[in-house]
Amino acid sequence: MAIMIIVVIALILYSLTAFFSYRYTKAAFNSIDKILDCILNENAGLPQTIADSRISKLTHKAEKIMQRNALDISQTTQEKEKIQSFISDMSHQMKTPLSGVAMYTDLLLDGNLTLPEQQEFISRIKAGTEKLQWMMDSLIKMSRLEVGAIVLSPVPAGIKQTISDSISSVYGVASRKNITIQTACFEDVFVIQDRKWTCEAMTNILENAVKYSQSNHSIDIAVEPLPLYTKISITDYGIGIPSDEWNLIFKRFYRGKNAKIVDGAGLGLYLASLILQKQGGYILVDSKVGHHTTFSMFLQNCKK
Amino acid sequence: MQILQTKELEKQYGKEPNIVHALNGVDVTVEQGEFVAVVGMSGSGKSTLLHMLGGLDQPTSGKVIVDGHNLAEMSDEQLTIFRRRNVGFVFQTYNLVPILNVYENIVLPIELDGNTIDESFVDEIISTLGLEKKRDSMPNMLSGGQQQRVAIARALATKPSILLADEPTGNLDSKTSQDVLGILKMTSTKFHQTIMMITHNEQIAQLADRVIHIEDGKIMREGRD
Repeated sequence: MAIMIIVVIALILYSLTAFFSYRYTKAAFNSIDKILDCILNENAGLPQTIADSRISKLTHKAEKIMQRNALDISQTTQEKEKIQSFISDMSHQMKTPLSGVAMYTDLLLDGNLTLPEQQEFISRIKAGTEKLQWMMDSLIKMSRLEVGAIVLSPVPAGIKQTISDSISSVYGVASRKNITIQTACFEDVFVIQDRKWTCEAMTNILENAVKYSQSNHSIDIAVEPLPLYTKISITDYGIGIPSDEWNLIFKRFYRGKNAKIVDGAGLGLYLASLILQKQGGYILVDSKVGHHTTFSMFLQNCKK
Repeated sequence: MQILQTKELEKQYGKEPNIVHALNGVDVTVEQGEFVAVVGMSGSGKSTLLHMLGGLDQPTSGKVIVDGHNLAEMSDEQLTIFRRRNVGFVFQTYNLVPILNVYENIVLPIELDGNTIDESFVDEIISTLGLEKKRDSMPNMLSGGQQQRVAIARALATKPSILLADEPTGNLDSKTSQDVLGILKMTSTKFHQTIMMITHNEQIAQLADRVIHIEDGKIMREGRD
């Protein structure tokens, strides 16, 4: 008799457990199903419960997934807009020197010009083509970097060689203006860099330093190791950059308000910061108008 | 996609006749993945703004919407859980737990939420922030810059919707500051982390995609690219 009762109780207990766990599982599955449906339909119909429950955690993760998707989509759209604006900027930038070249060529072909006039026009054509050439070069580098056709391969390499390479590429222009480039004494540091491209970035900054300095001035280079990064500062004593433009000068095609007197396309600094960013570094600027400008490049130190 | 939005946000402290208007109708939006810097002098209301955004304080009027959730409609308990999951904080002081080592400090918010730790992600953060060698160190063995890096790692570990940083380099010397800033910049690009950083230093703000200037509790100037 006792055995019978125990068996019956056990059976009842068993069926109750089975029933409730079935109901629980079904409810859980339904909730998960609902969450997944919300993800699929990309709507915000997710139950907005914030609590220390499992469903709330799942909902939270589902929200994250939806956010990530939204981010991907918006990034793709942004890229597209970027490329569109890039193409329109670029064509606009090339139009001016190109139409100049075309006009002077026409004038020369027409004849009826004095010799000094002819020479003047020829030299203007030359300046125009040089500008176009330089822009083409920068654009090619830039488009390759942006599209990802060139993958930078940053490896541990000494900074001394990079600095001396970039100095030698601007040495000619600098000596024509009688500008001396001084490098403070430092111990060679190994940083994570793609030397060719770091050199490119550094050369762009040095070229600017020379361009915006008056003759007979100097340019100072200093290297300072920080715990994680190595800082390479390039200081010129030229026209300077007002602080409200610090954030803008690294944007594509931006020309400083003070910089209008000197020729340029607004690509050099943009390219430099892009290169640094691709290597896990960054650039900062500090300046006082009419006094000095310091560009500091930060490159990651090698992990010892 | 907007991750953060405020509508006519106002905050007053004190009572008549000594009311201080810390915020006077602030409308800010932050897009997902953006690195925004808020620049202002001390007393301009920038820290008050950050406290409102993080749900650390209630506004007098106006709305704060983070990730589609109106913070004003939440109970205290909900707010606590919401912050734990969605908002990462980095303050001037590092606020590390002194009896836990670096790794334990970093995973603390994940464990508080009762989640399993995504080890590979945590390892990635630790190596990005250059803390591999300090993994088992106690906070008092670290320099200020290292402690702040641990604080940043801890804020990132939960993959928050937004990271709020209040003068993250306020207690650091200029050398270490530049290190910590580099780290913030790198995490924003590497992990597509949305960051809002508050600072009084125009030079530091350069690293951001966008700079918002705040003065007397109002937005004066907003520079978009």
